[in-house]
Amino acid sequence: MAALKEESIEKRPKVARLEAEGLRTSESISFWGTVWRRLFRRKSAVVGLWILAFLVLIALTADWIAPYDPVQVLIGVEPVKMRQKPCIHLLGCPEDQPQHIMGIDGNVRDQFSRILYGARLSLLVGLSTVTFAIIIGTFLGAIAGYLGGVVDNVIMRFMDVLLAFPSLLLAIAIVTILGPGLINALLAIAIVSIPTYARVTRATVLSVREMDFVEASRAMGGGWGYILFGRILPNSLTPLIVTGTLGIATAILDAAALSFLGLGAQPPTPEWGTMLGAERNQVFTAPHLVFFPGFAIMLTVLAFNLLGDGLRDALDPRLAQRGEE
Amino acid sequence: MKRNLLYTLTAAVVLLSMVLGACAQPPAATEAPAMTEAPAMTEAPAMTEAPAATEAPAATEAPAATEAPAMAFEPLSLSAPDCEYGGLFKSIEAVDEFTVKFTMCTPDPAFLAKIAFSSFAIQPKEWLEETGGGGAGSQLLEKPIGTGPYMIKEWRRGDQLILEKNPDYWGEPAKNQTVVFKWSSEAAQRLLELQAGTVDGIDNPGPDDFATIEADANLQLIPRQALNIFYVGMNNTFPPFDNEKVRQAIAMGIDRKRIVENFYPPGSEVATHFTPCAIPNGCTGEPWYEFDPEAARALLAEAGYPDGFETEIAYRDVVRGYLPQPGVVAQDIQAQLKENLNIDAKINVMESGAFLDAADSGQLSGLHLLGWGADFPDMVNFLDYHFGAGASKQFGNKFDDIIEQLKQGAALADDEARAPFYTAANNLIKQHVPMVPIAHGGSATAYKAAVEGAHSSPLSNENFAVMGIPGQDTFVWMQNAEPISLYCADETDGESLRPCEQVTESLYGYEVGGTATEPRLAEVCEPNADLTEWTCKLRQGVKFHDGSTLDANDVVMSLIIQWDASNPLHKGNTGAFTYWNALWGAFLNAPQQ
Repeated sequence: MAALKEESIEKRPKVARLEAEGLRTSESISFWGTVWRRLFRRKSAVVGLWILAFLVLIALTADWIAPYDPVQVLIGVEPVKMRQKPCIHLLGCPEDQPQHIMGIDGNVRDQFSRILYGARLSLLVGLSTVTFAIIIGTFLGAIAGYLGGVVDNVIMRFMDVLLAFPSLLLAIAIVTILGPGLINALLAIAIVSIPTYARVTRATVLSVREMDFVEASRAMGGGWGYILFGRILPNSLTPLIVTGTLGIATAILDAAALSFLGLGAQPPTPEWGTMLGAERNQVFTAPHLVFFPGFAIMLTVLAFNLLGDGLRDALDPRLAQRGEE
Repeated sequence: MKRNLLYTLTAAVVLLSMVLGACAQPPAATEAPAMTEAPAMTEAPAMTEAPAATEAPAATEAPAATEAPAMAFEPLSLSAPDCEYGGLFKSIEAVDEFTVKFTMCTPDPAFLAKIAFSSFAIQPKEWLEETGGGGAGSQLLEKPIGTGPYMIKEWRRGDQLILEKNPDYWGEPAKNQTVVFKWSSEAAQRLLELQAGTVDGIDNPGPDDFATIEADANLQLIPRQALNIFYVGMNNTFPPFDNEKVRQAIAMGIDRKRIVENFYPPGSEVATHFTPCAIPNGCTGEPWYEFDPEAARALLAEAGYPDGFETEIAYRDVVRGYLPQPGVVAQDIQAQLKENLNIDAKINVMESGAFLDAADSGQLSGLHLLGWGADFPDMVNFLDYHFGAGASKQFGNKFDDIIEQLKQGAALADDEARAPFYTAANNLIKQHVPMVPIAHGGSATAYKAAVEGAHSSPLSNENFAVMGIPGQDTFVWMQNAEPISLYCADETDGESLRPCEQVTESLYGYEVGGTATEPRLAEVCEPNADLTEWTCKLRQGVKFHDGSTLDANDVVMSLIIQWDASNPLHKGNTGAFTYWNALWGAFLNAPQQ
């Protein structure tokens, strides 16, 4: 993995030098253009992108496409019963019965609307935790890699300590201290993801800082802050993008697990993990209440995994050397 | 040379110390077994050591036996100096080896029903002393020694509890050689295990599964009489619940019918009163408030909360007969409070033991969902336990007017004579709203069809000694949760009480699958004319699981360490001894609050 990154970076000192002079090079354009082209050539990545686009669309338009308010209890509103099976008119459900394409949940709410709103929450969870973790992790990793010595040792040993715990257990411990709730769960997941990004960044920074263009910047009198954040980091983004995309999937899964355990989103919030947890006892009597949230989680995680895998391949220069370009 | 000398000296010192150690051990070794194996020998020193007898001024011991310590019986007793302390007992005394006399401060017609309860089970006096009456790590919490048809073999925490047949049981011997208690909070898992045949009986199948079980020829479903109550509790020491109008608004603002119709199994009913109607005088007085969101909002506005407020709904995620779907019901109450009263309630799911402790010690500042299953079929068990003088702080400050009515009601034997007091008490509960009674939940147990003697107890104390599958040595039972401890004098949770009831016995007990009392360790307990004295003749020749013989001192000791708060053995699991306080009014020598 480290070798891959070094090679990917080796390709670019010229680009970086030119960029340092404030120029946009044709090579830099062609690099990202190439990445996109390679990404789109991979069917699995395209499928991942489409699923993701679909989920984002659902999340953005949930207010319009959801037939019911996700927290509205339908007792007395419609003639429906707790945990009623799906009723789809197209599939032969009598017209005089209200349509609920994913059925009714244990609290007599429309499951379909809850699933739609759940997409909004899950994407938000994934993006926000990973963004937070990347910002903190990159900062720590960059400083550790660039400054080295005692600072490196202190930061990375702390990261090692965090990595020594199984991530979900650590997240549970953090939530137990902070108290259950969505925000605290997000914070916990973000904290446990930090070491991954810190390590990746540190490894990249360690190799990039030895490169000529960095030496040049240093010779031109650039301060360490400028060299690190202005020169080195922008050239270390590639592995972060891949790790981040795959990390979103893990974060969504962790958030769902925490919610399943009752430590994440609190009722009546329509969160997939919470929905799954609330109805886990009905797996035989009302399987639709367990299937749909589970399927939604699976689909989202799959989308991010496919995309992440595609990105990793697309950003890998060795594949280009093998004539994949 | 010097080194050799040093070695020789060291060896000599080690040898000498070993010899000294060996010489010192025999007396200690003989003293220890004397404590357990020869109770008669150890009674004298134990009596003087127990402050129950020495510190409490009125505690008396018969000195007659001091001259002949070998076999003589020294009756143990404890008396209250007067009845000012607020409890029902004046004295508990061993009259002779097989007679115990209870003197009451006021007549107590429910005496037999109460003394039969499993919290007042009898254990050997020596075992109670040896284990220090409980406390952290005490064997008493893990391994009760009783007289019941089963005895504890092994408790693998987090896994299972194994009981084995008591070969010396005085009554009808148990049908099974071994009974295994397992637990799972998931109704689906309990049913799955029953269907798979890995367990022989389960408690509380999920309401949705009733039909599945009835349709399965290999299983049998036995409905349990709804002798319970599920309520939404409020603590009146925390604002805004210190305002009676707020509590009344919540009482009117929750559509209880909607909860029962949608989330409870068949056989459940909306509670018109706290106590189920099957209990005499349970439903006297006015029925509960009708659902009226308009009036509720007006009341809330009058109390100064026109826009509602923020609070919390605390509950434990364990299934009970009174609350078959805790999560769903909690969410519905949350939705109703928002919809009807604009109250934003956050749901707080707590660990079972922590939740009960927090509720009992009055720490829950919001609403809490709890319930009660009958221990014995009397108003005292419902109303006195929750609203009487000895009730916990669950609802905050107690209501003196309710306590007064309950005291008067409890002192009478005749149901008709008690009616006016319970009518008044029920009306006052409606007025003060310490809680909102929601439902009397129908529940059931399910067994393999082959189980003989299968039953559901309205008191949730199924008796496994009478159940079994012919040709099978082991009976496996799966309940909702693991017992908290097995010293049931200091437990209130039904999941702890059920295994206790297989192992230990009280003076009286309840009939199998019913509520009537019948003699157990006592052959008979008889009152005097005005019901202020109860004299119990013990069954002779009853052996405890450790081989010792039951006598009156075991009975007295088992009870006075609960009664006397200053007794060094008054430790238990948490030290709350909630049932004692609730059923017998108060502790003797209770610490000043």
